[in-house]
Amino acid sequence: MPKSKRLTELATPFASVVVELEQETSFVKELRGNALAQFNSYGLPAKKEEDWKYTSLWGFSQQQFSHQAIPHTVSQAQTEQLALLKQAYRVVIVDGVFSNELSQIDNLPTGLTVSSLAEGLASVQSHLGGQINIEKAGFNALNTMLMNDGVVITVAKGINIEQPIELLVINSGATENLATHLRNVIVLEENSQVTVIEHYVGLSDIQYLTNVVTEVVLAKSAELTHYKLQQESENAFHIATLAASQAAHSQWKTNSISLGAKLARNDVHTQLLGEQAHVVMDGLYLLNNKQHSDFHTRIDHAVPNTTSEELFKGVIDDKGHGVFNGKVIVHKDAQKTDSNQQNHNLLLSRNCEIDSKPELEIYADDVKCAHGSTVGQMNEDHLFFLRTRGLDEVSARNLLTYAFAVEVLERIPAGDIRKALSAVVEQRLPQGGQ
Amino acid sequence: MLEIKNLHASIDGKEILRGINLTVNAGEVHAIMGPNGSGKSTLSNVIAGRDGYEITQGTVTYKGENLLQLKAEERAQRGVFLAFQYPVEIPGVSNIYLLKAALNAVRKYQGLDDLDAIDFLTLVRSKLELVKMDEEFLHRGVNEGFSGGEKKRNEILQMALLEPSLAILDETDSGLDIDALKTVSDGVNALRSSDRSIVMITHYQRLLDYIVPDFVHVLSEGQIVKTGGKELALELEAKGYSWVNKNA
Ligand SMILES: Nc1ncnc2c1ncn2[C@@H]1O[C@H](COP(=O)(O)OP(=O)(O)O)[C@@H](O)[C@H]1O
Ligand SMILES: [Mg+2]
Repeated sequence: MPKSKRLTELATPFASVVVELEQETSFVKELRGNALAQFNSYGLPAKKEEDWKYTSLWGFSQQQFSHQAIPHTVSQAQTEQLALLKQAYRVVIVDGVFSNELSQIDNLPTGLTVSSLAEGLASVQSHLGGQINIEKAGFNALNTMLMNDGVVITVAKGINIEQPIELLVINSGATENLATHLRNVIVLEENSQVTVIEHYVGLSDIQYLTNVVTEVVLAKSAELTHYKLQQESENAFHIATLAASQAAHSQWKTNSISLGAKLARNDVHTQLLGEQAHVVMDGLYLLNNKQHSDFHTRIDHAVPNTTSEELFKGVIDDKGHGVFNGKVIVHKDAQKTDSNQQNHNLLLSRNCEIDSKPELEIYADDVKCAHGSTVGQMNEDHLFFLRTRGLDEVSARNLLTYAFAVEVLERIPAGDIRKALSAVVEQRLPQGGQ
Repeated sequence: MLEIKNLHASIDGKEILRGINLTVNAGEVHAIMGPNGSGKSTLSNVIAGRDGYEITQGTVTYKGENLLQLKAEERAQRGVFLAFQYPVEIPGVSNIYLLKAALNAVRKYQGLDDLDAIDFLTLVRSKLELVKMDEEFLHRGVNEGFSGGEKKRNEILQMALLEPSLAILDETDSGLDIDALKTVSDGVNALRSSDRSIVMITHYQRLLDYIVPDFVHVLSEGQIVKTGGKELALELEAKGYSWVNKNA
């Protein structure tokens, strides 16, 4: 595609920013170099591209982003308050930089390593970049060029880690238009288990960019339970790729709850590469004001006998705009694939918008692939029923909105995490009604 | 308690209630019978305050107040209760949450504090017993996956908890087997009192063997065409609705 048709003319000359990790290997240098070449020839995705049809980056491309954070401290007490979980190993990143002081990863059990990108990279280098595509994928290229921090988590063979790990990524609000490019790598060896929560929080209402890539590698029979809670500032750009590859009998359960940011784009992708691999890919987006959220999901059933379950729900109010595009690809010979994808949306205002599109590509013949996509308004019969039981209209609407969203939360196993996420969602639902 | 005078109501320009007159005094039980499509559910909805009906003529007075200018929730808080012909399923709202929210809304109107958790549970348990429902139902979504009979019992459970002054039961008996019918009737009978009125809408005489009404009205094409005592129901059963229409 010719250069001029893409958003290469950016206000921020990303290509001139130089990032280097401590003791950066030639392997990483080479990755950066390739990414730069890709970015230089393709730039950011343009609206003409099918994958970006409903999400315009025009406003984004006009911003002057900075790569120099003004130093700012966040206190231990503050992180304590912001954290979703009290009982967890905690990794804290402030304004794009791993904080040793605020992180609580001192007494890790045998078989678990949690470290900053620079520190942990050597142990996972062979996986770095393996789960993502940087060709014609501007943000992934940008992330690879400029990744400056993040977290590396590894779990050794046969180890089951009981306590969850919370990755708390804070934007302090100290630096106007700060751009951070984080890379997380999570590697589970055979038969290991762990729970990881990615948690993004903005402390102000300034504009900034979080551009994050999380790569997940699950060896045979590994089980990763993964949550992502996105509570960026109301003027933030949050661009994320979450990509996994799964070996035989592995299980990945991921649930993304998207509440913040002015523009949030999430690409969630897994490749089921071994038989009996299973993925549960869920998500919830709550949008109001002029928020824009775009989830692009993709599940590759690459071999026979793999299964996927996907449920995304959206509650859209005011002038919010939601996008859901769910690709399920059943590759040739991937017989006995069983996949179910559902996307349901509740529209609470006349001015909001939703584009929901299931995309099934099936190249095998003996498969079960179900999908459903709905867009609806508040059910008047339900509303009337609740009012005849004495609930005022606003309470009834709020209750029904919560009832719609709660299905996604109910798929989380009962316990502290579900409780904490439910509380956050409840707080974020419309109060005061229309 | 309830006084309806010359009530005309239409929906989308189509007149469905065409001059209803009905007076229900405190302590009375009235049965309204009528063929499908005669306007029974429309009448219940208009009394309960559903939006979308155009009241072109007439008045509805409840405890001396103009009911028609109150919102549905205000009517409920003042003691008007409608048991639905087709109870809705609401996954995601647990039965116990609904019961608590409903009871507290009524108590708030009455100037009472919320019941504490223990008192609430004690009260709910006693009502569950009345309608022979297992406690397990409290933790399911409202009517989610309930059988037809369980849904109707759940309506009576809500009524028993809220202790309304005026209860309208819209075909609560339809689709019930004889055991469920008996349970539901026991639940309703337990609520009969000198300061409470009940309007039972039904298609069949059978319910009236269990809940004996003081008056029976026959509704046909949006009008009450005949009123009598409980023997009217038997006559109706024997002769069919065409009999009333001919006599109207
Ligand atoms: N929402 C509506 N729009 C148009 N017509 C309706 C609506 N609801 C009910 N009706 C019509 O009004 C008449 C009475 O209906 P209803 O009150 O449900 O009768 P019943 O409960 O006695 O069977 C029927 O002819 C029905 O088709
Ligand atoms: Mg009816």
